Amino acid sequence: MMMGSGKRKWLLLGGLTICLLLVPMLVTDIYILSILNMMIIYSILCLGLNLILGFTGLLSLGHAAFYGIGAYTTAILMTRYNFGFGSAFFASAVLALLVGIIIAIPTRKVRGDYFCLITLAFGEIFRLVATAWIEFTRGAMGIVRIPMPKIFGIPIATETDFYYLGLGILIFTYLTIKAITDTRYGRAFIAIREDELAADTMGINTAIYKIMAFSIGCLFAGMAGSFLAVYQTVVTPSNFRLEESCLMIIMVIVGGMGRNLLAPLAGVVVMTVATEVFRSVADYRMLIIGLIMILVLLLRPQGIFGSSSFKS
Amino acid sequence: MPILDTKDVTKQFGGLVAVNQVSMTVNKNEIVGIIGPNGAGKTSFINALTGIYKPSGGQIFFQGKDITGFPAYKIAKQGIARTFQNLRVFSNISVLENVLIGAHCRIDNPFHHIFLRPLRSKKIERQAYAKVIALLKNVGLEEKKESLAKNLSYGEQRTLEICRALASDPELLILDEPCAGMNSAEMDTLADFVKKLRDEGQTIVVIEHNMCFIMAVSDRIIVMTEGAKFREGTPAEIRNDLEVQKVYLGEQEVE
Repeated sequence: MMMGSGKRKWLLLGGLTICLLLVPMLVTDIYILSILNMMIIYSILCLGLNLILGFTGLLSLGHAAFYGIGAYTTAILMTRYNFGFGSAFFASAVLALLVGIIIAIPTRKVRGDYFCLITLAFGEIFRLVATAWIEFTRGAMGIVRIPMPKIFGIPIATETDFYYLGLGILIFTYLTIKAITDTRYGRAFIAIREDELAADTMGINTAIYKIMAFSIGCLFAGMAGSFLAVYQTVVTPSNFRLEESCLMIIMVIVGGMGRNLLAPLAGVVVMTVATEVFRSVADYRMLIIGLIMILVLLLRPQGIFGSSSFKS
Repeated sequence: MPILDTKDVTKQFGGLVAVNQVSMTVNKNEIVGIIGPNGAGKTSFINALTGIYKPSGGQIFFQGKDITGFPAYKIAKQGIARTFQNLRVFSNISVLENVLIGAHCRIDNPFHHIFLRPLRSKKIERQAYAKVIALLKNVGLEEKKESLAKNLSYGEQRTLEICRALASDPELLILDEPCAGMNSAEMDTLADFVKKLRDEGQTIVVIEHNMCFIMAVSDRIIVMTEGAKFREGTPAEIRNDLEVQKVYLGEQEVE
């Protein structure tokens, strides 16, 4: 909650942060570090998606598209226009935010299932444009040789460097979303999820708040995408398929939606580990992931760390 | 000057006239009851007042200001709060957060202040929290502030809904069938509570089916039937009005 056991919670979070900072000193295996880095990217994505899905109750099937917008913006700006990472990162976030607002404005009055379809369509449009507009995005070949990022002149080269950079973005994301959701804005998002009509009569301009929640979620997807671009040094349309959007939704639901901002991260860990562990049995991997999800939903419908189940 | 003044408010759904030229006034510090048989248009009228429906005709003045056609969130901000016939508490969140959401439009915390003036933002949120706690104490829900709203008893949820409406410091409070599903003991408690609110200066409009309740609390009663205003008067006048009895009970066969 917002007040009360605040001190202990911050202590716990501080401890967790220190542990996370120490990880690269203990883990030297590049493979494990690369998995951790992917977890960080998904964590940023899921924190943003939780704002849209967990708080505001909007099921967006197009989150991967905003991730993609961030990735392509950084890739194109850095390879063709000699942007540094800092400015490309900023531009990616802003562009994802703007496109988020553009998508959210016409959808502000559509109800659940239609919203879902529109975001699904947008996700597909993005992927098809990225595949087909060859002069601009180089299609399925993707954009390659994205230069190594530098932060204040320090080159980010190794897995460890990227780990720290990603962790920095993740902590920034967490603190920003925490600050927003601890105020009347977070409560307004929840009110919309719970009962839009009642929220309206409480003086909440539901249209504006929905646009706000959606576009802020997209902003962080743009940041995650930008990080992915410099981390992988390659972006291709296949990074941003519908499966990615679904995977993010699964992560948020399995981890737990809503007030507990860190809960979705549990989903990220479980799903990423599951994907890696079952890589050897590639054909059955999705089957196993599906099973994990069904099990979690049966045993803990509110998610691993979720506080309350919705729509019971 | 009346706090609320409606002039010929009409609401049509296609060919159906749900609310037909209803004019009424509500004075400060008064409880006005609205009664009428099922389908008389009471709730539609309230929905038109609170911006859930856009009125098809007529004008609504609130504290001298024309608020006709305002969206619901703006009307709430002007100072009209309401409850719903079929409970609409936010079930999956705590009692405390429910009431904090009720106070939403009175928490003056602009978005950029969260980042640019975090201390002020926190202070404003803390003040809202203190206010809400005081309100919960007043209605006897303080001990349950951390419970999820859906785990409260029915009567408590009704109280919570009123409390949530009060959190927005309304000039006018509209209760839509607050007694629905209550037993007589709960009803008495509610009647006392509503009268206490009036004594503290609150202006209230109550829609209710239950005659005992409405007669007990109202200073003035408006009877609606078939979408239109049918009678207006003190509880005693309404009780003895043969026409009203006809509307409610059907015509008595003479001879």
